[in-house]
Amino acid sequence: MTTNKRASDFVVGLTVLLVVVVLIASTLWLKQADLGGRTKHITVRSRDVGGVALGNPVVIRGVRAGRVEQIALGDNDWVVLRLGFDREIELPNDPVVLLTASSLFGEWQATVTSRDGVPPDKVLKAAIEEARTSGDTLAGAVLPDIAQLTAVAGRISGDVAQVAERVQVAFDDAAARELRESIRNFARLSSELARTVNAQSKNLDKISANVQTGLVTINDAATRLNTFSGRIDSATSRGELQTIVNNSQNAARELVQAAQNLKALTDRLDRTESNLASAVARADSVFAKANSRDGTMGLMINDPGLYRQSDSLVRELRSLVADMKKNPKRYINVRVF
Amino acid sequence: MITQISAIGRTTRTIVEPIGSGARFVRDVFLAARDVRSWVPEFSTHARILGVESLPIGIFIALFTGIVLALLASYSVGDIVPPYFVGTLVQKTVTLELAPVLTGLALAGRVGANIAAELGTMRVTEQIDALETLTFDPMSHLVVPRVVASAAMFPIVVGVAMLVGMVSGWAASLLLLDISTPQFLKGVRIFFTSFDVRYGLVKSASFGAAVALIGCRAGLTTQGGAQGVGRSATRAVVISAVMILVLDAFWAIVWLTNRTLK
Repeated sequence: MTTNKRASDFVVGLTVLLVVVVLIASTLWLKQADLGGRTKHITVRSRDVGGVALGNPVVIRGVRAGRVEQIALGDNDWVVLRLGFDREIELPNDPVVLLTASSLFGEWQATVTSRDGVPPDKVLKAAIEEARTSGDTLAGAVLPDIAQLTAVAGRISGDVAQVAERVQVAFDDAAARELRESIRNFARLSSELARTVNAQSKNLDKISANVQTGLVTINDAATRLNTFSGRIDSATSRGELQTIVNNSQNAARELVQAAQNLKALTDRLDRTESNLASAVARADSVFAKANSRDGTMGLMINDPGLYRQSDSLVRELRSLVADMKKNPKRYINVRVF
Repeated sequence: MITQISAIGRTTRTIVEPIGSGARFVRDVFLAARDVRSWVPEFSTHARILGVESLPIGIFIALFTGIVLALLASYSVGDIVPPYFVGTLVQKTVTLELAPVLTGLALAGRVGANIAAELGTMRVTEQIDALETLTFDPMSHLVVPRVVASAAMFPIVVGVAMLVGMVSGWAASLLLLDISTPQFLKGVRIFFTSFDVRYGLVKSASFGAAVALIGCRAGLTTQGGAQGVGRSATRAVVISAVMILVLDAFWAIVWLTNRTLK
């Protein structure tokens, strides 16, 4: 009896010990408990955690790197999460944490990514910026899960249903008749349009030929322009263009000087013109007086008798001069004393 | 009129009396448990008979339960959910419900009937009367060590059943469902909490205590000869099975109401 009791004690004790050890070890293994202190921890703060729960995976570049170990309410309406990583894992540069649904079945995960990797969403970026701190605490934000998206989709589908209902109300028999008539009109219009297009296609062929010719011309012009630009380029490179520009500047200065001279000449011409006008006016006055047979000049110009007398006088003066040349002593007697 | 009122009173007493006598029995067990020197020497013997020797039954049940659960999970959800949810379903179902309840029901048959038949035989052969004559308290010498051993060893058997159920579910997933080990483990770990194990073990301890108490009371109240022993064993198994389901609902209401995985 004693031997049996001792054996029973041993068997029961061994069984209990084995089962307890195996159960505890299995539980720790399934919980992925940190027994060797190989885990490093980071703290994240966010306004909300969505559906994230204890034990949810922490993912870096799509690879599971740790788990969510603690979720607690913080100050000023923040939620503080503690994430556990293997000590050898390196976090991305400027890390932030996005809390996202990882599947349609209620699984969530914490994705550690660089700040540049945050999706381009204004609300999300604002949430990240709001959660940033100067310390070791990382900023976190929740991406909308499928439930929120389906809620939005539900609202949209409701709106679409309303629109469809309104369309159904508006689309009565009269509208259908009008639509049929419109379709017939459209068919006629399209046949006419086809004829027009057919007719215009020939013109378009001609136009396209002309355009092609024009393009060839433009191509030639472009070639020449290219040659010209090449020359300009070469001239530029040799400095001739600078010389041309300098000469142009000199010519422009000389032109300015010539314009100034021309202006002075014009001024003088103006004064000469006014003098000439004055002289002409006076000459006109003299001619008028001469023509009016008043005075000596007028009489001389307009009186034939006076002309004849004058002519006779001239002839007599010629005969007198001839006589004086022939017989000077008759007219000139020079005496001394 | 008086006869009718008396009939109502008899019916009420018939319904309430077992509850009262059961409560008194439980009270007596607690009082007898204070006599540690009487029941501790008997503990290991009963722990071996009720617990260690029940391990094969628990392992056998859990082995096939795990296989069936994996196949059922795959069949039920098909391609609707990712395959690793088979692991989740196996882990949650085995640890929270099937390992404690199925093992408890199996042990109710084995342990409950064993205790009831053993004590019933002692009763009808007047061995218990002899103990009482020799001033040995049958509660502290016969009942308490069985109740304590049963309450202590049920969680051990159920713990082994949990492990075996998980392993057999994993093997079935790997061999029959083409679910890889990492996928199965991912499903197991994704919603695993230590509460699942604690809940199953505490529940199974209550099952063990209830089965032993019911078996002991059925045995001690045995009347008649061999037929009486048989009736006591049957009654012990039936009441134990019912009580296991009642306690299962009780613990679910107490611990799982308004509790989420988060």
